[in-house]
Amino acid sequence: MIEFLRSLVLPFADMVSSPTFFVEVLVGGIAAGLMYSLVALGFVLIFKASGVFNFAQGVMVLFAALTLVGLMERGMPVPVALALTVAVMIALAFAIERVVLRPLVNQEHIILFMATIGLNFFLEGLGEQLWGSNVKRLDIGIPDESFSVAGVLLNKLELSAALTAAVLVTVLAVFFQRTRIGRALRAVADDHEAALSIGIPLKTIWVIVWSVAGIVAIAAGVMWGAKSGVQFSLSLVALKALPVLILGGFESVPGAIVGGLIIGVGEKVAEVYWGPLVGGAIENWFAYVLALAFLLFRPQGLFGERIIERV
Amino acid sequence: MTEASGPLLSVEDISVRFGALMALSRVSVEVHRREILAIIGPNGAGKTTLLNVVSGFYHPYEGRIRFEGRDRTSLKPPDVAELGIARTFQNVALFRGMSVLDNIMTGRLLKMGGHFLLDAVWYGPARRQELAHRAAVERIIDFLEIQAIRKTPAGRLPYGLQKRVELARALAAEPKLLLLDEPMAGMNVEEKEDMCRFILDVNSEFGTTIALIEHDMGVVMDISDRVVVLDYGRKIADGPPEQVRKDQAVLDAYLGVAHD
Amino acid sequence: MSGHERFLTLDPQHDTFPKLVRDNARAMPDRIAIREKDYGIWQAYTWRDYFDRGRRIALGLASLGFARGDKVAVVGDNRPELYWAVLATQCLGGVPVPLYQDASEKELAYVVDHAEARFAVVEDQEQVDKLLAIKAQCPRLEWIVYDDGRGLRAYSEPCLLSLAELEERGEKFAVGHPAVFEAELARGRAEDIAVICYTSGTTGMPKGAMLTHRNLLVMARVATEREGLRPDDEALAYLPMAWVGDHMISYAQAIATGFTINCPESAATVLHDLKEIGPTYFFAPPRIWENLLTTVMIRVEDAAWPKRRLVRFFLELAQDLERQRLAGQPVSSWRRLLAPLGGLLVYGPLRDNLGMRRIRLAYTAGEAIGPEIFVFFRALGINLKQLYGMTEASVFVSVQKDGDVRLDTVGTPMPLVDIKISEQGEVLFRSPGVFPGYYKNPEATAQTLDDGWIRSGDAGFLDAAGHLKIIDRARDVGRLAGGTLFAPKYLENKLKFSPYVKEAVTIGQDRPYVAALVNIDLGAVGNWAERRGIAYTSYTDLSQKPEVYDLIEQEVRRVNESLLEDEVLRGAQIRRFLILHKELDPDDEEITRTRKVRRGHIARKYAALIEALYGDRDRVQVEAQVTYEDGRTGTIRADVAVRDVPAAGAGR
Repeated sequence: MIEFLRSLVLPFADMVSSPTFFVEVLVGGIAAGLMYSLVALGFVLIFKASGVFNFAQGVMVLFAALTLVGLMERGMPVPVALALTVAVMIALAFAIERVVLRPLVNQEHIILFMATIGLNFFLEGLGEQLWGSNVKRLDIGIPDESFSVAGVLLNKLELSAALTAAVLVTVLAVFFQRTRIGRALRAVADDHEAALSIGIPLKTIWVIVWSVAGIVAIAAGVMWGAKSGVQFSLSLVALKALPVLILGGFESVPGAIVGGLIIGVGEKVAEVYWGPLVGGAIENWFAYVLALAFLLFRPQGLFGERIIERV
Repeated sequence: MTEASGPLLSVEDISVRFGALMALSRVSVEVHRREILAIIGPNGAGKTTLLNVVSGFYHPYEGRIRFEGRDRTSLKPPDVAELGIARTFQNVALFRGMSVLDNIMTGRLLKMGGHFLLDAVWYGPARRQELAHRAAVERIIDFLEIQAIRKTPAGRLPYGLQKRVELARALAAEPKLLLLDEPMAGMNVEEKEDMCRFILDVNSEFGTTIALIEHDMGVVMDISDRVVVLDYGRKIADGPPEQVRKDQAVLDAYLGVAHD
Repeated sequence: MSGHERFLTLDPQHDTFPKLVRDNARAMPDRIAIREKDYGIWQAYTWRDYFDRGRRIALGLASLGFARGDKVAVVGDNRPELYWAVLATQCLGGVPVPLYQDASEKELAYVVDHAEARFAVVEDQEQVDKLLAIKAQCPRLEWIVYDDGRGLRAYSEPCLLSLAELEERGEKFAVGHPAVFEAELARGRAEDIAVICYTSGTTGMPKGAMLTHRNLLVMARVATEREGLRPDDEALAYLPMAWVGDHMISYAQAIATGFTINCPESAATVLHDLKEIGPTYFFAPPRIWENLLTTVMIRVEDAAWPKRRLVRFFLELAQDLERQRLAGQPVSSWRRLLAPLGGLLVYGPLRDNLGMRRIRLAYTAGEAIGPEIFVFFRALGINLKQLYGMTEASVFVSVQKDGDVRLDTVGTPMPLVDIKISEQGEVLFRSPGVFPGYYKNPEATAQTLDDGWIRSGDAGFLDAAGHLKIIDRARDVGRLAGGTLFAPKYLENKLKFSPYVKEAVTIGQDRPYVAALVNIDLGAVGNWAERRGIAYTSYTDLSQKPEVYDLIEQEVRRVNESLLEDEVLRGAQIRRFLILHKELDPDDEEITRTRKVRRGHIARKYAALIEALYGDRDRVQVEAQVTYEDGRTGTIRADVAVRDVPAAGAGR
């Protein structure tokens, strides 16, 4: 028993005695966390604008990465391929608005949710059809190597991914929190009919939101893809976004960011310091346990509105 | 005020059909500037359909709608809103998760000029604009006496207040024509009194033209300048309240239809 | 006693409130005198503005032929413009008569007519409508001036004037009569009547207590010195202007001391505005403290359970400590050690949340406060003190001194106040604040004023340490049929400690046992019901839910338990109760505008219910008249349940 307690407490001593290593772990956690945030952000945007959980967000990440790799394999330079991929994702947004959303105006949220499941399978099939199903390597020209700053080892790829994510997340947060589009978004999510009646152009809003979600998907796809290759499992990063959403609240942009960071840092630190105690692999379930705890004590998430409906 | 002479809105011989059901058949209604027009009729007479046609949610298969003299028959809801027609809904369509203040602010989206995307780039002007609009919204909050619930999520308000907030959101757009679909449904006597006072005040203070659907005959007779009566999708009377009250066709319609 | 006599001598250059406002405008022109929240923003007015607007309004009134001694009815929520109108009236040697803004036409008509008001300065359309309706009954009323013109565009009555128009007239008038204002101002004397406050009283017609500048000014200064008020204090002007408490604090003391008052945006936003302002000086009747407690409790109930447990633990700890402190008992050391932690985790945040973070001085007055409620706020570290006062005494009679607060007394007499107890046990007092009499009512004056002494109508005594202890309204303490002593107010206050109980009326005089009529608090019980998924459609429906009866029964049992500790009162436990199907309402004359229960009226109106409380049926049919805001009446019919409560301690 004493032994167990000791091994619970000892890691704190480790953190203090070897601060550089601790910082390395932290940076790794933050980098991973920002990438979770990015994926979660895609969900949040669409949830805010349409009240719908977009089942296809994960596949959009895969689809974006596949498109980029596919274009690069055909010999395009990175910037051109990237620009083209953005165009593809925006075109996709237009198509989704036209074919999926417009006919379903004012339907129950669950029906829209079902539609995104359909979209999920469609995109998966389309991606495979267009670009093939074998694992691809994505090389965007940033080497996967480390350098040292003040004794702390940092990975270039991870660092630039984290930086991009941070910039993107900030821009989006400002865009949606500080401009009236944020309010229009929430209005559309709450009541389509009322939003129309006060002159909010539903179509425009939807196209904007799905385009942004698509662009976020590209960023996520590039980062994860560069790290672990572009393959079907890429769409599973969506699963990691789920606990982030539960932590941060489905409707909160800052929630997605903070939630992502908490989970990213939390699971890294837990894995490195307490992993040995339980035989490792904490990283695989840490996020879900944390999310479960939140569901019990603060179901609306860190930044969510309190859920009380009048009876 | 170039068009000050003609009616603000004229609905000319419109018909609306839902499958085999004729919701409206060849109905013509004029709404004059600065008046309060009440649209009454038994349940299912087509009152809400008429409102939905005017606000662009339904389109008539025949007939025309003119607003300020121009043909507006085929416009969609956001375009109608842009013309200066605001409305409320029978079953309160508020943005339930948003605060009362945000709800009313959305009413001013159209007044906010510029483009959505530009906001993000030109942050300073957007901020100043926001403040100016906030001031306008505060005047409405003061006008409708809802200061105490500014920060309350709309979904948590009691029904009577939700209706008032919905009116506030419609007013925020500074509409030329305000369409109210049963603004007093489900209210108690005191809430109705308040609502009546607000509607009259809006009409006299802002000069807003108002067309409303209402069931409470006392209210209709008290506040409207003119009454239009619909029955089975047809207009059966149109005139000042005293006159409509005595109209035989109206009496028959109300007596003939079971009133629940 | 020495030292305070200096307040009795007033310099003729500075002996009326208008003269003092002029002094303030000269000495501190740019300091803020009044803030008002309007359009969501706090607007500030300096002492210069205060005096200037008062002067403009005064000139406007003068242009309408105002004569010294004229009465001006002032009706509306606390608005800077209305305080300026009070000042303007006094500048011209007139007498402001502030009235309750929610008074019915009938009440308004009586007072306006009785006071012979020639002018009325009112807030908005609501008040204009009422005054226009009663104008025919008040032949002396000539002009109605309004501040907010919304909805009045179509009104064409020639007696109506907006404040802006009035001031404009005043400006023109001043051109032809440049010296009038200063001359009238200088003619004011300390012995002039400064205000007439009509007291609603729990019986009979309102009486107009006249107070002179001297009355108010001397007492304001005495209180300021004893309580250590300063020019940088902030008060919230939210109690009805017609209530002498508001006149004393928001007008007299604010001017005499030079502190800032803050007018809330509307009656409904008071709690929120309180939080924004964070006043240092706060005056509230027990009713408000009860409401504050209720909002706190609702919030605690809404919290997640670990937080709820934590808050409850520390609140109980603080209340125990405070109780021991007030009783002068030693405090156990481990609990004393925990208190700072509670301050960090619970009391501090709660004080912040209530807007009481900066409070240096808080009063409860108007009627007795429940000891539990009193202890609760003191336990949070708020310097809440009981004040015993009367309109006829310019408010201050006795106040608990800082550091000498006890649960069961209302403190020691204010300086310059003498208190004695009559042979019948009635509290008598005299002071420089004692009024010259009721306006046009010598009989009532004679009944109250006896050779300079005021009969308070309250039973009480001075204890060994010189503290005044009030037992109850002299005529309210009674005995059950068996002879057991029964103090209704005491029981009601205990009941009202529960956040779920908004109002309670207990009955027992010459009855076999005590029974209670309970009003539930719609906010708290509604919230409680929602959390339990109990659906309800209306107040009436909610009030009659068996679950709600269970809830209230627990509260009644709690009161009965707590009575066991009291040797004298333990026999007067509540044995049967019912929940009223409607809220007690001043419009229905069930409570006064200051929210005191009108027992006589309730006994008559709810005779059927009271009979049922002493019968054996467990349901009773009731019809009640309700009065809507516009004066129309309607009838509510309901089936009200009656429930028995076992006596506490019976099984032991």
